[in-house]
Amino acid sequence: MPLHLKESEIIERAALLPAFPTVVNEILETLDDENAAMGALINLVERDPVITARVLSIANAAVMAGRTQRDLRDMQVAVSLIGLSKLREIVLAVSLAKFSRESGMGSHFWEHSIAVGVAAQELSRIGHCSRDFALVCGLLHDIGQLWMARCHPLEFQMVRMSMEQAPDLDILDAEIWHFGLDHCTIGRLLATAWHLPASVISAIQHHHDAHPPADKLIAVTHLGEAVVNALNIERHNHASVRHVSATACDVLGIDWRDDFNFLFGRIEARSRNLTRIFS
Amino acid sequence: MKQRLRYLPLNELVEGMVLGASLTIAEHGVTNFALPAGHVLTEDNLCQIARRGGEFACVAEEDQRSEEDRAAEQVAHAAQLQRIFANADKERPAVAGLYAAVLAYRSL
Repeated sequence: MPLHLKESEIIERAALLPAFPTVVNEILETLDDENAAMGALINLVERDPVITARVLSIANAAVMAGRTQRDLRDMQVAVSLIGLSKLREIVLAVSLAKFSRESGMGSHFWEHSIAVGVAAQELSRIGHCSRDFALVCGLLHDIGQLWMARCHPLEFQMVRMSMEQAPDLDILDAEIWHFGLDHCTIGRLLATAWHLPASVISAIQHHHDAHPPADKLIAVTHLGEAVVNALNIERHNHASVRHVSATACDVLGIDWRDDFNFLFGRIEARSRNLTRIFS
Repeated sequence: MKQRLRYLPLNELVEGMVLGASLTIAEHGVTNFALPAGHVLTEDNLCQIARRGGEFACVAEEDQRSEEDRAAEQVAHAAQLQRIFANADKERPAVAGLYAAVLAYRSL
């Protein structure tokens, strides 16, 4: 029996999810002030011993590459060695990986999120917009699916089965049929409830649109997912590209007649690297 | 023998590999580490790349595939792309552009 969910029910049932890591909001709020951001970031990270341990472990492996005896135990030293922007990236990915894992999502969900986050970051270089915002948009773009799987696992499986039986079916139509709402709408409601920035909310809401609004963060998220699916980075049989928005290409200044080999190679290699580190 | 380019994450790079493209690592827009195309990676290079936050490199390798193997791979890549883009309107320039760009990349 299909559900006919109302928007108000999404937030009520979001209590079934683990607490959203507020460190994500706090990092995005302090991006513009490098000096204030460093102390604030260290304080934020040190509030959570699990994240602190994971960040130090990743920083240690990255800096020393396992080739020396030196061991990083102090966040100040970690920041001074790997740099603030790298640490910010690690904290964002570690926090959201922990959230995804505690929500009970399978590894394929997180691998796809990482790949779209990396692709959005790489496209943000071309479009000259924030790498950190692009990463967060990519990591969170399918957050509505995480809610669906956690709160209504049976209907979530039915969407998957519908897609397998009719591969030309649009996933949004299948979700609306079984849930009454699609994952982009649910993602928008969750991101709003978690007080994420308006630009991140818009990217989550519009990433599947055939004709999304002309906005750089929406564009990197929309095209990031299209590129990840076109490259079939997760190497499964369900990858599909339905829309590639001309507006999104124009907003970022992308002309597909240029040579994209290096960009695609970079996205594939970085996705593999980060999936290994953050899974 | 022909060369082929491969893009490998840091943990798959090993001493003796030859860079297929220059490797540059920048922070705040300033390049702080660079190696030219054709450079043979050393153990010390790999440590430096890791220490500076490098995540990948493009390496050139001898392409040991036969012409037949190469052609068969091309056909397989094209078939996979057809399936991935089966629900997209390839008459649209943006769709056709991404399709062609990925096909060119898979032809490396």
